[in-house]
Amino acid sequence: MAAAGKAGSPPYSHPGHGESSLGRVSFLGARPPAEVEAMAGGLRGLSQETFRRLLTVVVSALEGKDCKESVRAIAESVDLSEEQLTSLISGMYTLLREALRLPVSTFKQEVFKEDLQELRIPEEFIMDFASVVFGNRHPVVEATTMKQGNKLPSVNDIKWRVDVAISTSSLARALQPSILMLLKLSDGTAHRFEVPVVKFQELRYNVALILKEMNDLEKRSILKIQD
Amino acid sequence: MAAEQPQPEGSKPLSGLLSGIAQATYYGHAGITEELLRGQLYPEAAPHEFRALLAKMSGVLKSVASADMDLNQLEAFLTAQTKKQGGITADQAAVIAKFWKNHRTKIRESLINQSRWDNTLKNMNWRVDLKSQSRHVDQINTPVAIVEMELGKNGQESEFLCLEFDEAKVNQMLKKLSEIEESITALTQTT
Repeated sequence: MAAAGKAGSPPYSHPGHGESSLGRVSFLGARPPAEVEAMAGGLRGLSQETFRRLLTVVVSALEGKDCKESVRAIAESVDLSEEQLTSLISGMYTLLREALRLPVSTFKQEVFKEDLQELRIPEEFIMDFASVVFGNRHPVVEATTMKQGNKLPSVNDIKWRVDVAISTSSLARALQPSILMLLKLSDGTAHRFEVPVVKFQELRYNVALILKEMNDLEKRSILKIQD
Repeated sequence: MAAEQPQPEGSKPLSGLLSGIAQATYYGHAGITEELLRGQLYPEAAPHEFRALLAKMSGVLKSVASADMDLNQLEAFLTAQTKKQGGITADQAAVIAKFWKNHRTKIRESLINQSRWDNTLKNMNWRVDLKSQSRHVDQINTPVAIVEMELGKNGQESEFLCLEFDEAKVNQMLKKLSEIEESITALTQTT
């Protein structure tokens, strides 16, 4: 095993392969994903112009755009086999996905650059990668990621009407207000239901309570996960 | 006529009878039959006598409930009934008045429910979570509310709506609810 002679390494870093000469684990993990390693190898000898075209496509993909056409255009104009192209794009995608996952507040640019140097990625490309991760694309990609994340449906629109029943088949003078509510949800469905006044008060009280709880939670930063 | 006074007027059987009528008519207990009521409350009355009493009391209670009478209206109505031919006795009127005082709110509630056909909000539960991490985001750290709303029709199985709200959405919801509140207040105060 490659782990031989590494008995003294700290328990949280995986011994053996991947641990860099810097004495810490790369942001890509102890062992970089295979596609990233393959990409790093494939980058050597690539012109900066081609690299930047590929980078633009990958960033668009991370922003949730459809990139089929742009990839096809690149494939037709550069002298790369389909396998080479696929390997480059998937490696760049994984590398950026992992880097963009980390919060800008704690992830240092120097660390990122060192880790890419460790992968033997040419210096000029490292600069370009860094400008994506630490530049103004970060918030855009983050917003897309949050949108695509796993979640329950939310309310997009609320419509309401207050009715007062005047008279019914069982009650001559009802004069009873009730609320008809329509919730349009983010999953495209709509739900209509009646809310008796007593239930309405309960609903309003609970929503106000939820808001208060959420505000309180934000004030308490002890729950934040810090490295 | 014998049906006037099926047996010496104790207030207990009559008050039981009124409860039985309310259970069957307004509170949706299907198991309460004429036979059961007679057997339990007026075992010595002949079936046809009991049937007449039951019909009369049901009719009186229906009039009182449908008009949702307050105490003055009730008094006037019951006095008129005692004077009517084939009406009720003063003792019966007293029992009915007492019964209505205790059951008015509940019966009214049930009658209102009888004219509600849409899904109704039956219950809600909620939980506030702190979103921490996800596959593609290392640190999120924003609160999120998970709200479950139980919607259903009377006597049918409910549907549960599970929703997620961030702070902005909760705020938006609360604003809408405040508008509704204002609207209800305006309606109930001016009339």
